[in-house]
Amino acid sequence: MNFFQVNSNCNGCLACLQNCPANAIDVQDDGKKRKLRHNMARCARCGNCWRVCPQDAVEFQYMLQNRWDEVISLDLEHCSVCGEPIYTTAFGDTLTEKLGKPEAPVCERHKPAFTLKVKAHFIGHE
Amino acid sequence: MIVGDIKPIEEIILSISGYEKILIVGCGSCVSVCLSGGDREVQMLAQELNRKVYHGAEPSPITVDVILRQCELDLIQSYHDLPEGTDAVISLACGAGVQTLADAFDPLPVIPALNTTFLGASFEPGIWQEMCRGCGDCLLTYTGGICPVARCAKSLLNGPCGGSNGRSCEINPDVPCAWGQIYQRLSRQNKLHLIHEVQKPKDWRSGGAAGPRSRKRTGIAGSPGFQREGEKEGHSSNQR
Repeated sequence: MNFFQVNSNCNGCLACLQNCPANAIDVQDDGKKRKLRHNMARCARCGNCWRVCPQDAVEFQYMLQNRWDEVISLDLEHCSVCGEPIYTTAFGDTLTEKLGKPEAPVCERHKPAFTLKVKAHFIGHE
Repeated sequence: MIVGDIKPIEEIILSISGYEKILIVGCGSCVSVCLSGGDREVQMLAQELNRKVYHGAEPSPITVDVILRQCELDLIQSYHDLPEGTDAVISLACGAGVQTLADAFDPLPVIPALNTTFLGASFEPGIWQEMCRGCGDCLLTYTGGICPVARCAKSLLNGPCGGSNGRSCEINPDVPCAWGQIYQRLSRQNKLHLIHEVQKPKDWRSGGAAGPRSRKRTGIAGSPGFQREGEKEGHSSNQR
């Protein structure tokens, strides 16, 4: 879904284009079609397009919508004791690279218990 | 937002005399919105200079660019290159943007094409009004959300003065009396007792009278006390 949206009232008069201070709206008359394009990198979100539109066609609320777009999806590592997600696999790799040895994936809460468990296993006492 | 007015074209032409390849840089933030330094004004200025100074030379000795915010050094340094052979830059940003650009492109001359005028707001399309002087000690709690420092011609802290007729200021009948407005607003808020409290003389040190102001915020990458591994010291000699 685009942030900049116009509804079916739009009649292509180009008032928005003429009044955009950032030149973020463009028109392409392509054969039998007039196409309006919007450039989010240029847009200053000033709302002039919405202000001047004689058709009330600019749905500016989408520009102000508190919406999250997913930018990346990464594999997670979980605490080996309680299963709580702690960091991504890629972060774990960075950690291993920086520490020079693999770090057991344990959350802050279980780190002391895990250390004691490991000590008990290898050294034989708490 | 920061409001600016483009300088007279004669002044801009004078300031670029002797330079052969010019880059004009607009700013995509405040001055874009207040119709003084965005892409539209950059294009218009380029056209005018091409016509009046370079007489339509081909190829044009002028290139144009717009930076999202000219007041952020690392953004400029990371994402904006100078076209080869550029010998001067014209900036349509506010004074903060011009100076940041001058630092980013040092020692290239960066010439302002805008007069930074005030911190303002727009109450109707195409009109911006001064609202704030950045005094560093906001009084709006006591004045019904109307700033007497910026909006009273005398910046009175205890008003109105004798030049007010309650509605307009003596300097111009079209300028509303800020203290008249404050009175009306406080009256609507049932807080007229606030206007009877005498405000002490303002300490202007927070408003710049004690020298240039700066703020340090911690906790973000690059902020004081936060140094990434292998990160070098600041970009230029005047950074701290």
